[in-house]
Amino acid sequence: MSRIRLNEPLLLAALIVLVLSAPLFRLDGYLLKLFTLTGINCIVVLGLALLFGYAGQVSMGHAAFLGIGAYVFAILTTRHSVSWGVAMLAAMTAAALAGLLLALPALRLSGHYLAMATLGFGELVSFAFTEAEPITGGVSGIIGIPAPQIGPFAVDTPEAAYWLIWITVALVTALLLFVRRSAFGRALRAVRMSEPGAIAAGVNVTLIKVIAFVASAGIAGIAGGLFAGTMRYISPSDFSVALSVTILAMTAIGGHDSLLGPIVSAIVIGLLPSIDALIPGLSREFSQYVQSYQADVYGVALILIVIFLPGGFGSLRMRRRGRSA
Amino acid sequence: MTDLAQLLVLGLKSGAVYALVALGFTLIHSATGAINFAQGEFFMLGGVLATAFTTAGVSLLPAVVYAVVLTGAIGVVMELLAVRPLGDGNPLRIVLSSIGCSVLLKQIALHLYGPDERPLAPFSPGPSIRMLGVAFERQALWLWGLTALSLVLFALLFRYTMLGRALRAVAMDRDAARLSGIDARLMVTMIFGVAAALSALAGAAVTPMTQTAWDVGTRIGVKGFAGAILGGISSPATAVAGGLLLGILETLTAGLIDPLFKDMVALVVLLAVLVFRPAGLFASARKDRV
Repeated sequence: MSRIRLNEPLLLAALIVLVLSAPLFRLDGYLLKLFTLTGINCIVVLGLALLFGYAGQVSMGHAAFLGIGAYVFAILTTRHSVSWGVAMLAAMTAAALAGLLLALPALRLSGHYLAMATLGFGELVSFAFTEAEPITGGVSGIIGIPAPQIGPFAVDTPEAAYWLIWITVALVTALLLFVRRSAFGRALRAVRMSEPGAIAAGVNVTLIKVIAFVASAGIAGIAGGLFAGTMRYISPSDFSVALSVTILAMTAIGGHDSLLGPIVSAIVIGLLPSIDALIPGLSREFSQYVQSYQADVYGVALILIVIFLPGGFGSLRMRRRGRSA
Repeated sequence: MTDLAQLLVLGLKSGAVYALVALGFTLIHSATGAINFAQGEFFMLGGVLATAFTTAGVSLLPAVVYAVVLTGAIGVVMELLAVRPLGDGNPLRIVLSSIGCSVLLKQIALHLYGPDERPLAPFSPGPSIRMLGVAFERQALWLWGLTALSLVLFALLFRYTMLGRALRAVAMDRDAARLSGIDARLMVTMIFGVAAALSALAGAAVTPMTQTAWDVGTRIGVKGFAGAILGGISSPATAVAGGLLLGILETLTAGLIDPLFKDMVALVVLLAVLVFRPAGLFASARKDRV
């Protein structure tokens, strides 16, 4: 098993170096923005990988935590001229607190109740974003969100935004790799594999699940703050319930216990609707066709994965190596 | 006083819908140990297919019947293709698979019938009927009638027929049922069909009052589930009672406090019940399956 553990971080590092060097190839602004958005999705998916992939709990409300982070960041920076770092901290804290409010009651029982509660929460939050117009700007959202200012550097170019996002992806990945090797990571895996077994081994299952959920929501909150700071404009449609389901599908297709799987699946599924911008020669019509069938693709993929490859794509590589070792 | 009565009537209208959806959740939960996240889509399909059949020239009542039967068949197909292959292992896999099915059913409805809201004619046209100062929409009477009829039929089937006993046996203990010679897998398939048809009936009967669209399923799914939890998900009767009660709580909140909070009720109820009385309000002391 030790060989397997060594390999994923290497692959991840290679992937992230590759991704970080992309702006050096002088991509146009549209592609950079697209890849920046994909990076934000990766952060949310990584957060969910902690909850689903490590601890085996389902959330169908991660777009809501993303949205809470984004709105808190946007409101604090535009109306109260709070500094970037403080607003980011507030975005993370708000999302984590919302996660705590949901998880504390719902996780006393089976994780399925949490899944349903997060779904209802997601509906409610997206309703609130639209209806609480004095606070959220209603359907038109919030515009003119200031760019993050890191020391002397303003993150106000597409390249800078891209780097900020993907460096964060790298940091979150590193954090999760560290978590996986820690006692907390082992407890999470124990909870996923067998709750009675975990209880017997002295793991406080409810506490572990609540921590995982709150951390996962907090990571989504960070992604939300980054979304607001790099896109500079947010509206309720950015945080729909459909996005929550997409994020969950990306994570589940990516697989248990894996970070590379969820990242790759977030990139592939996320870029699918913009396939014409990536592969020269494809028409816009074809791309629109793909776009309208994107959900079908991950819906079917999710069902097939659950049936034929319950560990997700992330388990493929490990399984093969596990056998040869 | 009549205002309050009117609110109760309104509440029982959405309550009847939640009750039928809640019953679907309970049936599948007791048969598989999992929550079916595609339950709300069956509700959506009932309404959307009924409108599709009437648009195609089928007259109203046959269209409703076709929609309910077809949705039941879709439930059966879903079980055969996406649930049965999972075996009876981890319920989490059924949850994920049903989420995939929910996405897919929504997309199919969207591709076939487009994103617009779709109306359906009332089953019997005419103004509301006034009794004791309270207005009853004719369509609401249809909804209650059909809900009551299907609940009675369901109870008779469940209690007194051989098939019903087999279904109950599987819901209680799958392995024991199998040991006594019941084809448990067939029963689970049938339960999916029945659960789908019940939700579809609610969807078709409520559409003349609300219209329908490809994306209405999620919200109704959450509310139906909240109703099931409120009453107690371990038995069909308590789940139905919970669904009705949730409808009343919603309209009371909307009427007495603020309509803005109406959609919050289901989530608050869901979380509050999980904290204070996870077995549900009406459940007896015995704690099974929770």
